[in-house]
Amino acid sequence: MSEVESDSYLSLVYEDELYDNESMELYESQTTAVHCTDEIPCHKFESLQSYESEFDIEDLQFDEEDESEDEPLREQSTHTLDKPSLDGSNLPNLRYESLTTDDIFQRMLQRVDHLQPVLSIPAEDILLLMQRFDWSEERLLEDWTEKADELLIGSGLKRVHEADKEGENGLVRGIKHRESFTCPICCEDKTETFVMECGHEYCTDCYKHYIKDLLNQGNIITCMGCSLALKNEDIDLIMGSASSHKLMDSSIRSFVTKHNRNYKWCPYADCKCIIHLFDASSLEEYTRLHCSKFVTCKSNHSFCFTCGYEMHAPADCSVVSAWVKKAKKESENLNWVLAHTKECPKCSVNIEKNGGCNHMVCSSCKYEFCWICGGEWAPHGNSYYQCTVYKSDDDKGKSDKDDLRKTLKRYTFYYRVFNEHEVSAKLDWKLGQNIGHKVRALQESVGVSWIEGQFLPESLKILNEGRTALKWSFAVAFYSDPSHNLTKIFADNQLLLSNAVEDLSQLRQIQDPETIMQRKTEFYNKAGYVENRTHALMECGRDLLRKGICKTKD
Amino acid sequence: MSRAKRIMKELLAVKDDPAANIKLEFVNESDIEHLKGSFQGPPGTPYEGGIFLVDIEVPMEYPFKPPKMKFDTKVYHPNISSVTGAICLDILKNAWSPVITLKSALISLQALLQSPEPNDPQDAEVAQHYLRDRESFNKTAALWTKLYAVANGSTVGQKQVDEAQLYGIDPNVVEEFESQGFEKEKVIDALRRLGIKSLDPTDNATVNKIVEELLK
Repeated sequence: MSEVESDSYLSLVYEDELYDNESMELYESQTTAVHCTDEIPCHKFESLQSYESEFDIEDLQFDEEDESEDEPLREQSTHTLDKPSLDGSNLPNLRYESLTTDDIFQRMLQRVDHLQPVLSIPAEDILLLMQRFDWSEERLLEDWTEKADELLIGSGLKRVHEADKEGENGLVRGIKHRESFTCPICCEDKTETFVMECGHEYCTDCYKHYIKDLLNQGNIITCMGCSLALKNEDIDLIMGSASSHKLMDSSIRSFVTKHNRNYKWCPYADCKCIIHLFDASSLEEYTRLHCSKFVTCKSNHSFCFTCGYEMHAPADCSVVSAWVKKAKKESENLNWVLAHTKECPKCSVNIEKNGGCNHMVCSSCKYEFCWICGGEWAPHGNSYYQCTVYKSDDDKGKSDKDDLRKTLKRYTFYYRVFNEHEVSAKLDWKLGQNIGHKVRALQESVGVSWIEGQFLPESLKILNEGRTALKWSFAVAFYSDPSHNLTKIFADNQLLLSNAVEDLSQLRQIQDPETIMQRKTEFYNKAGYVENRTHALMECGRDLLRKGICKTKD
Repeated sequence: MSRAKRIMKELLAVKDDPAANIKLEFVNESDIEHLKGSFQGPPGTPYEGGIFLVDIEVPMEYPFKPPKMKFDTKVYHPNISSVTGAICLDILKNAWSPVITLKSALISLQALLQSPEPNDPQDAEVAQHYLRDRESFNKTAALWTKLYAVANGSTVGQKQVDEAQLYGIDPNVVEEFESQGFEKEKVIDALRRLGIKSLDPTDNATVNKIVEELLK
């Protein structure tokens, strides 16, 4: 498809939207306003940044407002729509940073350093105290001024009997080498032991075993025989390697939990990144305007800072929570768990969908159909894609019972499309896993440079975003008043995006590197179009929410 | 293997200290993971004069993980299940330290009999009894000691005991409801569920509650 065609798509949208002048006016006034928010551009930037991050993560991560100039895709994507301005008239610019556990640990150490002149005890000891007080300086200082001694003894930093001064019994903390020592724990004769000022001495092997078990619990580790605390350096000394960081990890967990207004863990499995929002107070403003602050961690996982869910625009957090709750309830009650296979509508052979595109070709009877509606593909083709619109039955005079059934039917419809797009998104994501190979294939067989080949991952990223937005838009559509004009506009927007996404998804099925390079402009155009449609849908969805047309409680 | 060495040493330590009146032996000589321990009920408590048998399972990771202990002897105590003998004691759970031995754990159990922790109960019914009516609780606990915690297991449970008495329930209350046509067992069950040990016959609210429970 050429660029011209993609433009004709766009003009079609606007013509279409003009059918309702009244709401259109409102809509347009809102549209420009929303364009001004930093959220979308910043998000876009992050998506770009992630690919550059291979070169330099540190420099780029905080510059949300920085417009990346050298991105061909970006130029493509903005040339048809008004360039979003960044005056932030509607939403506060929420700056954030993506941290690793190491960064957090450095911060913790900084706080310890601040306390040191006040407490004048070793930094190591303050670290232990802070762990004990869950990183609340106030509580620590309060206890410190009231009963410093008790505090130290209670935390195992000082021995109960002050009388035996260090050196008096000749006991210095550390590893000892002995000729004959029977460890009271394992009852074996050992030569290497660890002893503390309290005089309790055990072999290092037993200590290793003991510490290993406790590292994951995150509590202060004490002498096996009494409450004298082991310091991080002691732990590292005994374990023979830097192991205390594991203990610190659990301490970091408690640190993040304590500061959960500004700090959030990336919710993705096994991701150790932490997002730090500099000014969390403005989050309320986002909520009020039905927007969500989406953040991207260093491992390139995007999620909503408020609810921890994936990027769910155009839906806001309340729609998401209502939708997820409902889906959970319905799937339990009514067994909505949809099978992942479908029968071919013609020959009834079972088909499993293993690619992101909804254009299915039955391998046994060659029948072409749409995965969503099961109807023939031909009418979907390049014309409007009817599958996203729920056609409400206009039959009149139906009883309440039918109403209930209708609601259920309506929900089933939306839930199904939601689910279909989720599955598609997952499959697209899987495809994306070997995008690196594809780019490499391009480099090797066609001889393009790495940077030139980047349109592939870029377009995939945009495709994913489009799908996610489309997916959540069905949650918004479900809660919206179907009779309102804006809802209709929203549905049209869904349709357009759905079309655009399918187009792009289809393009991505091409395997041959040469063909890919030949159709490079198509990739650009379609990706740009998907991007535009995604933003239009998001804005429209936000309008629905702002105007109260989309309500989760009725 | 250090675990075997340590267990053997612990057995010796118990034998070397007959004054503690603690016994510790293997159930089966070839299995070092399964032991039985016993100790005497602490004097000045309802458990005085009893011998309490404890089943001990030593895990692979011993002494870095606590041994699993439960009472074989039936004990009437807030922190010990009156049904399974399961024990609620911190040192057998998260407060375990490798320096604790089987002997010191048994001594801790002895101490637990001496000073119950009714606010962290294992057996809610017993704990409630303990908190509401200490005298009646002590009677029941002493009765259980006499019945179950006897040196020779052979006589255990041979004597027929009135079930009401066994749970510290006033026999008059049971009789009262029996005379109304309820089965004795059911009356005792209901009273145990409600945690009622004695009753003021003029307390109509409680009487009604019991009848309601019985008619369920």
